[in-house]
Amino acid sequence: MIEVRNLTKTYRVPLKAPGFVGSVRSLFSRAYKDVEAVKDLSFTIQQGERVGFLGPNGAGKTTTLKMLAGLLHPTSGAVTVLGARPQDRDSAFLRQITLVMGQKQQLLWDLPPRETFELNRAMYGIPRAEFTNTLDELISLLRIEPLLDKPVRNLSLGERMKCELAAALLHRPRVLFLDEPTIGLDVEMQVQVRQFIAGINQRFGATVLLTSHYMQDIAALTPRLLVIDEGRLRYDGALTELAREMAPERRVVVRSVEPALVPLGFVEDGGKMIASVAPEAVNAILARALAAVPLAELGVEETPLEEVMGRYFRKEAAAPPPEGAA
Amino acid sequence: MIAAARAFPTLLRIAVAEMVAYRAEMVIWILTATLPLVMLALWNAASAGGPLDGFGQADFARYFAVTLLVRQLTGVWVLWELNQQIRTGALSPQLLRPMNPLWWQFAETIAAIPWRLLVLGPVLAGVALWRPEIVFVPTLAAAAGFAVSLVLALLVAWFVQCLFGILAFWFDQSLGLFQVWFFVWALLSGYVVPLPLLPTSVAAVATYLPFHASLGAPVEVLLGFAPVGPTLAIQAAWVAVLGAATYLTWNAGLRRYGAVGA
Repeated sequence: MIEVRNLTKTYRVPLKAPGFVGSVRSLFSRAYKDVEAVKDLSFTIQQGERVGFLGPNGAGKTTTLKMLAGLLHPTSGAVTVLGARPQDRDSAFLRQITLVMGQKQQLLWDLPPRETFELNRAMYGIPRAEFTNTLDELISLLRIEPLLDKPVRNLSLGERMKCELAAALLHRPRVLFLDEPTIGLDVEMQVQVRQFIAGINQRFGATVLLTSHYMQDIAALTPRLLVIDEGRLRYDGALTELAREMAPERRVVVRSVEPALVPLGFVEDGGKMIASVAPEAVNAILARALAAVPLAELGVEETPLEEVMGRYFRKEAAAPPPEGAA
Repeated sequence: MIAAARAFPTLLRIAVAEMVAYRAEMVIWILTATLPLVMLALWNAASAGGPLDGFGQADFARYFAVTLLVRQLTGVWVLWELNQQIRTGALSPQLLRPMNPLWWQFAETIAAIPWRLLVLGPVLAGVALWRPEIVFVPTLAAAAGFAVSLVLALLVAWFVQCLFGILAFWFDQSLGLFQVWFFVWALLSGYVVPLPLLPTSVAAVATYLPFHASLGAPVEVLLGFAPVGPTLAIQAAWVAVLGAATYLTWNAGLRRYGAVGA
C-alpha cells in the first residue's frame, strides 16, 4: 500500500556569507552545502491504517510526506504508494491521494471556498452528482455551511482549515497525508478536526499518515507511531508500547498542596502534589495518601505524551539505537 | 489534454470571478503597459516636420494605437506568478491536482482580457478624438489574419514568460534575466520603433525572431504591411518551439522542485 525503501533526500543549499561583501562574493563563486533531510528511511503502511509521524522540527517529516505525495523527487531509494511511483505524478495516482499542509493553502484567497470546490471538481473531473453528495457530506461533518459564500480572506484560521480539508477530500482520496493539520488552531477546533479525520478513516477506510506537533493529535488519532529524528527512523510501533517502555510509571496526583504528603514521595508541582511510582506501587501509595487527603482530591495519570517523547529524544541523543532497532 | 479542455470553461468562469475581486489592482497593472502612448507622443513630435521613412503623423498614431491594443490583448503575468509560487512553495497545493497548474494560469490570463478592453476603451477613444485618422476599416483578409496572428502572439508571449518563470526552479534571478529579454524585445518587437524604421538588415532579421512574433506581427498584419501567410507561419513555428521547450523545462524543473519551504 505504502512502501518506503531506503528513502533518502539531500537538499543542496547555497551558502552565503553575511553582508554586502558576502553577497558580491556569492555572485561569482557559490558554495553549497548538502543537507540530508531524510536518510535511509524504510517502512510499510497497510490500507486503512492511521499512522502518526513524530519528530522534532527539521526531522524530515514534511520532506517525507512531500515525497510520498509526489511533490519532491527522492535523491535515492524507492517509494510506492498505491502501486505508483509518486514522483511520476500520474493523474490516476493524484486522484487517489491528498496532502493537507497546515501552512500552505489551496483555497483561492479572494473568493468564497465554494469556488475552490468548483475548481477542484473541474480539475479532478468529478461527476456533478458525486460531487454534490461528497460536498454535502463534508459540509455537515465539518459544519462549514455558513462559510461557503464568504471570501476566504474573511475566514478565521480554524474556519479556513476546515474548508481546506473539505477541498482536499472532495475527490474521495484513499490516502490522506496530513502535515500539521491542526497547527495554530484553538483547542475546540483541534478536537473537531481530529474527530473529522477519524471519521473519514472509519467511513471510507482511508489510510491516514499525519504529522503534528500536538501530542493530543497523535494520542487521539494514530495507534501506530513512526518517530523520525535527523532524517532517520527511530521507532516504529504502537504508541502504547512506547509509553510503557519509556515511562512505565504512573503519576499519583493530589489536587491540592499538602505538606504531610512529602514523606510519601510527593513533590509540589504548580499547586498540585505529584508522586511518580511503578504501576504495582500505586495501590499502596494511594492507601497511605488517603489518610491525609480526601478521595476527591486524588487521581492517577499516565505520563503525558510530551514527557514520553522528551525522554525518548534525550535517550536517543545519548545513545543511538543499534542497527535494525527500528 | 481532453480533461483540461473539459475543465477549462469552469476554470475560466472562476478566473473571471477572481479578476472581479482584484479589479483595482488589475487597472493599475493594465496601465503599466501603456508605453505605446508615450512612444506615440514622441514619434508624433519627431514626424511633425514631415514623414520619416514614409511614416507620417497619422501613420504613427494608427501604428501605436494598434500596438497598444495588441500589447494589452497579449499581456501575460504568468512569469511573476510562477516565480513567486516556485520560490515560496505556493505551487505545492496546485501540483497535487491531476492537472498542470499552467492551465489555471492560462485561464487567469484569458480572464483578464475583458478587463483590459474595458480599461483600454476610453484610452483609445481619447486617442481617436485627438487623431480621428486612426479609425480605419481593415480588409476582411487583414482582419481575419489579425485575429489568428493575435492568438499566436498571445501564445508566444505566454510560453516565453512560462519559460522565464520555470527558470525559478534553478535560479533566484529569473526576473532579472527577463528584464534583459524585455529590453531586446522592446527594441525588436515594434514596441518602441516600428520595424520598417529600423535599418533594413536589422528589420529583416527581426521579422523571424520571437520578439516580433509576440507583438509586431499582428500589428503589421492588421495595418497591411506584413505578408499574412509567412507572418503567421513564423509565429506558428515559434509557438511550436516555445511550447515544446515549456513542456520539457517544466518537467525538468519539477525534478528540481523543493527549495526549502516548498
